[in-house]
Amino acid sequence: MEILKAENLVKIYQDNGVPVNALMDINLTISKGEYVVIAGPSGSGKTTLLNLLGALDKPTKGKVYFETENITLKEKKELSKIRLHKLGFIFQAYNLIPVLTAIENIEFSMMLLGIPDKVRKEKALELMDELGIKELANKRPNEMSGGQQQRVAVARAIVNNPSLVLADEPTANLDSVTAGHLLDLMEQMNSEKNITFIFSSHDKQVIDRAKRLIILKDGRIENQ
Amino acid sequence: MLLKLAWRNIWRNKRRSLITLAAVVFAAVMAIAMRGIQLGTYALNIRSVVELFSGYLQIQEKNYLDNPSLTSSFIIDSKILDALKSTKGVVDYAPRIYADGLISYKDNSRGAAIFGIEPEKEKNVTTFVQNINSGKFFTSDSSNQIVVGDQLLKNLDAKVGDEIVLLAQGYDGTLGNQKFKIVGTVKFGVQELESALIFMGLKSAQSLLAMGSKVNVVAIKADDLNHLEEINDQLSSKIRNSNIKILSWDKINPELEQAIQLDNVSGIFFLGILIVIVAFGILNTVLMSVIERFREFGVVLAIGMPQVTLTYLVYIETMLITFIGLVAGNIFGYAINYYFILHPIILGEELKKLYEIYHFLPQLKSTLQVSIFFNVSLSILAISLASCFYPAYKVYKLEPLKGIRHT
Repeated sequence: MEILKAENLVKIYQDNGVPVNALMDINLTISKGEYVVIAGPSGSGKTTLLNLLGALDKPTKGKVYFETENITLKEKKELSKIRLHKLGFIFQAYNLIPVLTAIENIEFSMMLLGIPDKVRKEKALELMDELGIKELANKRPNEMSGGQQQRVAVARAIVNNPSLVLADEPTANLDSVTAGHLLDLMEQMNSEKNITFIFSSHDKQVIDRAKRLIILKDGRIENQ
Repeated sequence: MLLKLAWRNIWRNKRRSLITLAAVVFAAVMAIAMRGIQLGTYALNIRSVVELFSGYLQIQEKNYLDNPSLTSSFIIDSKILDALKSTKGVVDYAPRIYADGLISYKDNSRGAAIFGIEPEKEKNVTTFVQNINSGKFFTSDSSNQIVVGDQLLKNLDAKVGDEIVLLAQGYDGTLGNQKFKIVGTVKFGVQELESALIFMGLKSAQSLLAMGSKVNVVAIKADDLNHLEEINDQLSSKIRNSNIKILSWDKINPELEQAIQLDNVSGIFFLGILIVIVAFGILNTVLMSVIERFREFGVVLAIGMPQVTLTYLVYIETMLITFIGLVAGNIFGYAINYYFILHPIILGEELKKLYEIYHFLPQLKSTLQVSIFFNVSLSILAISLASCFYPAYKVYKLEPLKGIRHT
């Protein structure tokens, strides 16, 4: 079943008045449950593509369909709803909310959905237990290692049972062992919960474990 | 959770939040203390002036204020008496007659402002009876005795104990004249007033002016300046006489009211400046704290937090700081105002002389009037909300991606 489709995507940035072609004529289709890695050298357009697929940015031309719905023309408010209900994000720099504990960070997106306090606490603890980070529940981001923070970020991304998780260079700040554990975890979520994962990465370990690899070069898909 | 998040965000940068808090506390304390002393001193001065002569309220014939003549008079009937006795807040009342006349002693004649009063009643309503300078005040029963202004006595070249002749046009248009004995003089510190004032017993005045049992004014002492509106309403509804008006001190002494209004406006203007300065302080801190967190805000927007909720968060943070500052400011402000009620600031000699001319007490006293605390808190709260608008707008307009990329 098709979850995401990009049609003739073009993204042109203006850099001091000079147009920069970040993405040119991108066409791709991603099915439910896929585990995809978008790879390519720096500046190839990986993050730009991920942002367009994740409704964080709008293309200059072309369309993005999420669950058969064209999201390119949607309003900010509607995109925000889609991101909250259907998408999960994992960032390179973890980006947890520093004043909240690990469990509160995981609860945060549930709070935005209006889930009652008790239910979200139970659900967050359950997920933390599943991911092996239950002991971090009351720790704040500055009391956790990078790997621990990224695990909490994974929990935050998947706690609302999204259809799709977008991870931008999730292992870039981690050592290889920790990165390996994190990838194990995401693979497990992919196979057990059938969550679709799209990574952007140039980390060899991530690329090696891709079930589907899309290589970008100079803003174009070189191979998929 | 939003509240928890806001609370923790406030204490992320303790020093900055404490400085903002201190600014709010300072503004609230200053505003409360200044307004307290200003309004407290107004009340003190109003009491001092109205208790000297006019009274807190007056019952008058409806045209008397515009045309204070003998014909603008009325009889104190049982309805008025009952109303005065049964209205809560009325301490006492004193009937009066006012007429213009001519006073003569030997070859000297002078224009006179004649007041017919009942000294025993006046003692419970006003203080001018205590301003006796020489001799004594007559009693209500005594006839043919008068007290004159100190300057009038000098102008007539007379002395206490001398007999004078008073000439005045009566209620019926006839000229009345009578001999009176000067039993005392009063001094108010206003020469213009003292050169014309004559006090005599109400009955003597009614007889001289052929007034029968009519009076021009009933001066009323109230228990509190803040109860005047209530007392006025009650008296009006009980008396229900279209020929009679009940006026409060500000209508009887419009000059005093205007002087206070003028001073009040300058006080409010100064407070406005103070609050605006604090508003800029708040704007600066909130803006800094918002811009510092653009990256974090970008992330939560990416997660799906609605822009409006994020804007609320910024408002909640500002309101929390403002609220804490206001609570502390109100407590300190209350303490300061209470102190200046117990220990009024006594003015120096120069100012004392100036104050005495206007019959003001030469001191600055505060008040614990609830409206001061309420108005100051509301103003600071409103200005905090207003100063938060620009940072909140920036947050509202923030794109998730721009936030995430913010360095």
